[in-house]
Amino acid sequence: MKLKRFTALTMTAAVALSLLAGCNKEPASSVAESTETPDVVESTEEGGETAAKEYTEDEIVDFTMFTAMPGSEINDGNDIQAEIAKKLGVRVKETWLTGQTDAEAVGSIIASGDLPDYINGGDAMIELYNADVLVPWDEYLDNYPNLKEMYSDEEWNMFRQEDGKIYWANVFQNTYGEDLSTEHSGEAFWIQVRVLEWDNYPVIETLDQYFDLLERYAAANPTMPDGSEVIPYTMLCEDWRYFCIENAPQFLDGYPNDGSVIVDLDTMTLKDYNTTETAVKYFKKLNEEYNKGIIDKEFGVQTYDEYIAKLSTGRILGMCDQWWDFAYSINDTLTQQGLDDLGCNYVPLGLTIEAGMENQWHDYGDTLNQSSGVAITTNCADVERAFQFLNDLLNQDIHDLRFWGIEGVDYLVDDNGLFYRTEDMRTQCGDPAYQASHLCTYSYMPQWNGTSRDGKNAMMPGQQFSEFSANLAEPLVKCFQAYGANNYNDMIHSAKTEKGLWYPMYSFSNNFTTDTPGGVAWNKMAEVKHEWLPKVVMASDFDSEWATYMDKYNACKPEDFLAEMQECLDGVIGK
Amino acid sequence: MGADENLTEETENVESTEAGKRALSKTGQPVEDIDNLSRKEIRKRAKKNNRAEDVKVRLSKAELKRQATLLILSAIFVVYGIIFYYVPLLGWIMAFQNFKLKTGFFHSKFVWFAKFIRLFEDEEFLRVIRNTLGMGILNLVTTFVMAIVFAILLNEVRNKYCKKIVQTISYLPHFLSWIIVCGLLHDALSSTGIVNEVLIKLGIIDNYISFFSFPAYFWPIVAFANVWKETGWNAIIYLAAITSIDPSLYEAAAMDGAGRWQKIKHITLPGIRPTIMILLVMNIGNVLNAGFEVQYLLGNGLVQGVSRTIDIYVLNWGISEGDYSLGTAAGIFKSAVAIILILIANWVAKKSGEEHLF
Repeated sequence: MKLKRFTALTMTAAVALSLLAGCNKEPASSVAESTETPDVVESTEEGGETAAKEYTEDEIVDFTMFTAMPGSEINDGNDIQAEIAKKLGVRVKETWLTGQTDAEAVGSIIASGDLPDYINGGDAMIELYNADVLVPWDEYLDNYPNLKEMYSDEEWNMFRQEDGKIYWANVFQNTYGEDLSTEHSGEAFWIQVRVLEWDNYPVIETLDQYFDLLERYAAANPTMPDGSEVIPYTMLCEDWRYFCIENAPQFLDGYPNDGSVIVDLDTMTLKDYNTTETAVKYFKKLNEEYNKGIIDKEFGVQTYDEYIAKLSTGRILGMCDQWWDFAYSINDTLTQQGLDDLGCNYVPLGLTIEAGMENQWHDYGDTLNQSSGVAITTNCADVERAFQFLNDLLNQDIHDLRFWGIEGVDYLVDDNGLFYRTEDMRTQCGDPAYQASHLCTYSYMPQWNGTSRDGKNAMMPGQQFSEFSANLAEPLVKCFQAYGANNYNDMIHSAKTEKGLWYPMYSFSNNFTTDTPGGVAWNKMAEVKHEWLPKVVMASDFDSEWATYMDKYNACKPEDFLAEMQECLDGVIGK
Repeated sequence: MGADENLTEETENVESTEAGKRALSKTGQPVEDIDNLSRKEIRKRAKKNNRAEDVKVRLSKAELKRQATLLILSAIFVVYGIIFYYVPLLGWIMAFQNFKLKTGFFHSKFVWFAKFIRLFEDEEFLRVIRNTLGMGILNLVTTFVMAIVFAILLNEVRNKYCKKIVQTISYLPHFLSWIIVCGLLHDALSSTGIVNEVLIKLGIIDNYISFFSFPAYFWPIVAFANVWKETGWNAIIYLAAITSIDPSLYEAAAMDGAGRWQKIKHITLPGIRPTIMILLVMNIGNVLNAGFEVQYLLGNGLVQGVSRTIDIYVLNWGISEGDYSLGTAAGIFKSAVAIILILIANWVAKKSGEEHLF
């Protein structure tokens, strides 16, 4: 499903805050041999510096890009976009999803034949492949060292489609050098720091403890300072974002975010987390809390925008979600209203169904979602130039320009070569108007997390520890101290486990189409869950509603889906 | 002006019902012969005339030349129709293929009726048919009745300015796009919206109702949205029909001691009956166009079982899932049902001696 998609809203706001997790991935070995790229972190200027040539307006090529995610368009004549165009000779007009689902938008583009030069089709990439409108990367990749460097050969192989060719590359979750991530980018049960502070920073390990705390806090503090009522818990169920209600059972059982199935490592077989005992317990708990009035009555019908608006008021005490899905949209707003000083910021909790279990909510490594990424379409008139641009965007100077901004304007460099921002710069970079007129991150183009090629700075400002700390509100700092945590990651206490190459399994199910029985089943299961999960939560008689739901669910033939997923898994592990 | 009005009145009178005619003769106005002829006779005569013309006009060069302008003008419309209505129908071939963009129109495999079979085996499709028909009929009945009631009520308003203002305001929503109407509706019915607020303040409910969480409310909400948006606009045509009713009928009725209610019942309603019938026949063909935007914009996971229409189904399968064949098959089904519906409605209208399309 469209579970955890690190597609990033992330990047839209990357400048303001920090970025995704990732972990120590040494620059890929295949690349280390290449002379054009830095093989050791110390080699500063060697790779990724752009030639000094300056392109004139006549020489600049305009490309278009569509990204099947909501985003904000930047202004024409944006400062950094112009700067990049001058250096690289390419300017890209980005457009975003508005009001449709990604599949609808991509479907319409295919049907109309009106293709942009670059496209990131989200979870609908496979439709683009099926329609034969993408340019294969194979013959180009070796000419573009920066691009090639993004993944190891083994990882590149994961991107190969049925015909054995690579058509796109995911741009997220790639760590250069040392991992500097500070934020738990993935899913968790989130809770406002003021709730924890009120109860003297208790240890919360289970779902029951979590809801118990929310209940007690809401009973003691029913209103916000402005008189509006607090809402102890809400859930988003809209379209693909319904992972917020849907996939918690896998985590509660201690499994990582495979997103559509659980992989049992002992037998290397798949389990369906929708029907486990934990799933029943989890939904029964939600049902109980709903009937107590703890859960937002409108949870089942709210749109993403309404959900974000609600979170921005600070009225929601807790929810289950992924960081990138809400944080970049609400953190600036909370700050502007002074709600961060009241402790309305959220911290993640790594809950399990029983106390004392290990959890894997947090991914320490880079997660490779090979089901989506940036692609070049057959409509592009100058494919080589398009690849060159993708490649050059990873040059260190351009990368800094994209994410840090212009030196002297958006950041300063201290005597040790460390980048920093003044308070004014930070505020300015958080301002949407400034973001539109000045900053240009090309947020769905290739990019790095981790450490810059200079070995000192972070690729992304939000991962620069000094910047991260300077941005934290007082209650957050106190909370981190109380739990002995340095950052969000430490709050979760996830087990450090090695993930197989199959991880995450959702990157396989994302590519299922309705041409196969498994794909049809997958499609129908989602339909049924969209309707019935909120229904069972709202039921007056949980058990009978759950039984009806199970009947409907089993009628979708989930076994077809599981069988096909098992084939994918077997394929990867070479069984 | 006078002559023109007379003309329309006369035609109206011809069309109007027995009641109207009785009233007319009572007033003792001079009526021309034609007014007393039954409709059947008129039609017979018309047919005779036609036949007479057929005999007269021979297809000759001279005749073609004489009608050249007319022929060219009509040819433009024929060509337009062929290009924009008939050529696209070639796309229906897709419904009988397993159409893939890669293989295209000419190389996709023919599967004949497999897609249709798949369609009718799909529980979801049967449900969207039910939803489409349900909402279509509900919308038809409510908007239709409301428009007539509204037109009659407005016609009874004596103050000219008041009438104009009400009419203008009432048809303005027609010009709003559905996205705006749905936005308004969504906000009005939300937890902090005006509806909940009023109900709570009046003490009718204790806690707000999440209207969009309950499948039972969905159809009525959609019907309400349609009524709100279209009533004023639909009423215009009835108001026009009402103005063409001979005022002397009302005077005569008043003399006979008829009250307002009786005048409405015996003069206004019969007067606009032909208009009502024609619009009804046309709208019945439209029942399957129960809407796309409203359901698409207001629907959510909880109510999807009652909110999805055939159009949404076509979008889901055709565009989102890329199964153009299935989408086309669903579209063909919809068109076929619409044609059947309109034929039935027309046939019923014809049988009962009412106005009909063909």
